[in-house]
Amino acid sequence: MSAAVLNQDLLEAAVGRLAADGLTDLRERALVRFGETGFPSVREENWRYTNLAAAVELSNAYLSDAPGAISATNVDISQLNDDIDAHWIVISSGVADPDALAALQDDGIVITPLSESNDSDQVCIDDPLSSFNAALLHDGLRVRVAENARIEKPIGFLLQDDAAATAGLSQTRIVVDLGRNASASFIELHRSGGDSAHFANSVVQMELDAGASANFVRIQERSTKHMQIGRLQARLQENTTFNFTTIDVGGKLIRNDVAVTIEGAHAVANVCGVYLADGNQHIDNHILLDHRVGPAVSMQDYRGIVGGRARCIFNGKALVREGADGTDAEQSNRNLLLSDTAEIDTKPELEIFADDVKCAHGTTVGQLDKKELFYLRSRGLSHEQARILLTRAFAGHILKKLPIENAKKYIDQLIERKLDQLTGDTDQ
Amino acid sequence: MSIMLEIENLQASIDDTPILRGLSLKVGAGEVHAIMGPNGSGKSTLAQVIAGHEDYRVTDGSVLFDGENLLDLAPEERARKGIFLGFQYPVEIPGVNNAYLLKAAVNARRTYQGQDEIDAFEFLKLAREKMSLLDMDPGFLNRGVNEGFSGGEKKRNEILQMALLEPRLAILDETDSGLDIDALKAVAKGVNALRDPQRSIVLVTHYQRLLDYIVPDYVHVLSKGRIVRSGDKSLALELEARGYDWVQEAVSA
Ligand SMILES: Nc1ncnc2c1ncn2[C@@H]1O[C@H](COP(=O)(O)OP(=O)(O)OP(=O)(O)O)[C@@H](O)[C@H]1O
Ligand SMILES: [Mg+2]
Repeated sequence: MSAAVLNQDLLEAAVGRLAADGLTDLRERALVRFGETGFPSVREENWRYTNLAAAVELSNAYLSDAPGAISATNVDISQLNDDIDAHWIVISSGVADPDALAALQDDGIVITPLSESNDSDQVCIDDPLSSFNAALLHDGLRVRVAENARIEKPIGFLLQDDAAATAGLSQTRIVVDLGRNASASFIELHRSGGDSAHFANSVVQMELDAGASANFVRIQERSTKHMQIGRLQARLQENTTFNFTTIDVGGKLIRNDVAVTIEGAHAVANVCGVYLADGNQHIDNHILLDHRVGPAVSMQDYRGIVGGRARCIFNGKALVREGADGTDAEQSNRNLLLSDTAEIDTKPELEIFADDVKCAHGTTVGQLDKKELFYLRSRGLSHEQARILLTRAFAGHILKKLPIENAKKYIDQLIERKLDQLTGDTDQ
Repeated sequence: MSIMLEIENLQASIDDTPILRGLSLKVGAGEVHAIMGPNGSGKSTLAQVIAGHEDYRVTDGSVLFDGENLLDLAPEERARKGIFLGFQYPVEIPGVNNAYLLKAAVNARRTYQGQDEIDAFEFLKLAREKMSLLDMDPGFLNRGVNEGFSGGEKKRNEILQMALLEPRLAILDETDSGLDIDALKAVAKGVNALRDPQRSIVLVTHYQRLLDYIVPDYVHVLSKGRIVRSGDKSLALELEARGYDWVQEAVSA
């Protein structure tokens, strides 16, 4: 099969149609950079399980007449506000409602459109998807949390960018700085507005200055017509804490790249995830924990429940570089397979070049424990009840560590609904 | 007096290895039976077969409960009819809340009996009451099922489940093993509280000590998958003094 190639001429023309603003220079650089690489192909080790051909095809079709400007979409978020108490900002194709930004006036936090932030050199274009993203940005968000600021209420980004009835492509970029000793929580919620095919490409960059701490919860409940590639990269200075949890229940083809770089001693990074997939869903989680300085602690803890003909991938890597002595890096990936036709590829990797390093990893792919099932049934619970209870408990291991309390109830219900669907499937 | 459990010539294997080889036993309503016997003789196998564990294949014989064939029923159906197995090794189920399981178990039985489900308040009241009888900290309700429980705590938790479910037939597989003396007394109290002309209890144990607290009507010795001797509580004392060799010899002789 020949890999689909993105038409660079179409891309260039589409970039050219975007209005001149504070991002023009960035787009030009990104365009050139992307032209050198194109999209990654399955021949690359990091992409061998995830074929982007459909995303490339959709991109080519979209770019042939991509609009030069879009305006913020109106999304009614009153229900969402009830569900998760947060400062919600709706972002469609990278563009946020200016009123929502203006309304957000917590002491110590400033959010501006990226095009007005005068530091577009901070926007990372180091990998193909990031440069593709930057080249096509209508706009993005720049978030700054001031030194010592403690932002109590989570900042929520609702990414709902497929209002158009036709197939679409969208780029979202959020660049966050937390000043020294600052703390804040963020929720990134991915949803579908309609029923059309869509390819969303988002990049979130986090910089944590010394002593800062950030909680980040990503919830992805897109329709099964959506493809999404999401990158989250975080750089941690000394004494920082970064708690990240990603929840994937939706999407047709989902690829998450989480790259955390530890640049200061005594940093703590918790990177957790739950993925529930059925039908023909494809969910690929890639994590790179780059320990450059020690001592520091990192934990990768992912759990998956996979049924139907779904395919899920976990590829977590801990890289402990020379000099990162005293690193403690742990990785765990456990999976429940609910059908014979589902597939899981789990690949934990460790590369260690430092001394005094503690690393542990474990992965499992299996069915529910028969002893546990029998125990519950011997107490009068039906097979079905027992199965649902154990499946829920399996995901609960990650959910109970959820770093943002406000999102807990919503996520529990989301998982519950998906589990009903998943455990129902296997009855057929 | 009516027969509650009637086992005839029961033969069961696991992975094609025969474990029970023609076991017969009758337990009348209101009776307490103790089953003793060497390690590996098949005591737990018997308990698990009665509870409906699907890994064991019954190759011959019958098990009747209230005159009804038990072997065709799923484990949960047996439980709902009032059979309770206290496991020799209760499993830890992290993430499943102990109170949740207890309440679901009580409701499964109630629904089967055509009663309304118990409400949260009523359940909590009942659970606290039973826990105080067993000298158990109410905090155990909010933990995962047996998660991180000590050996003795797991056994107490089994008895708590039994106390809440009020089974008609309770099979307690070495519930006394690993218990300190206070826990043993608490467990005995829980079992004795359940004694009733309509209920039967089968105790699997290695120690005659338990039988000082829960006095059995009959004592049986299981050896190589068969009951080789039955008697009253004095048999337990004799076994304690003489070991199992003489019973086994007496049979093969
Ligand atoms: N999967 C298996 N394959 C073969 N033999 C098995 C299997 N499982 C259990 N057994 C054997 O069945 C026999 C009976 O085991 P059981 O647990 O019923 O003994 P028990 O009387 O309860 O012993 P204990 O007093 O040690 O608890 C043992 O010899 C055991 O090794
Ligand atoms: Mg045993």
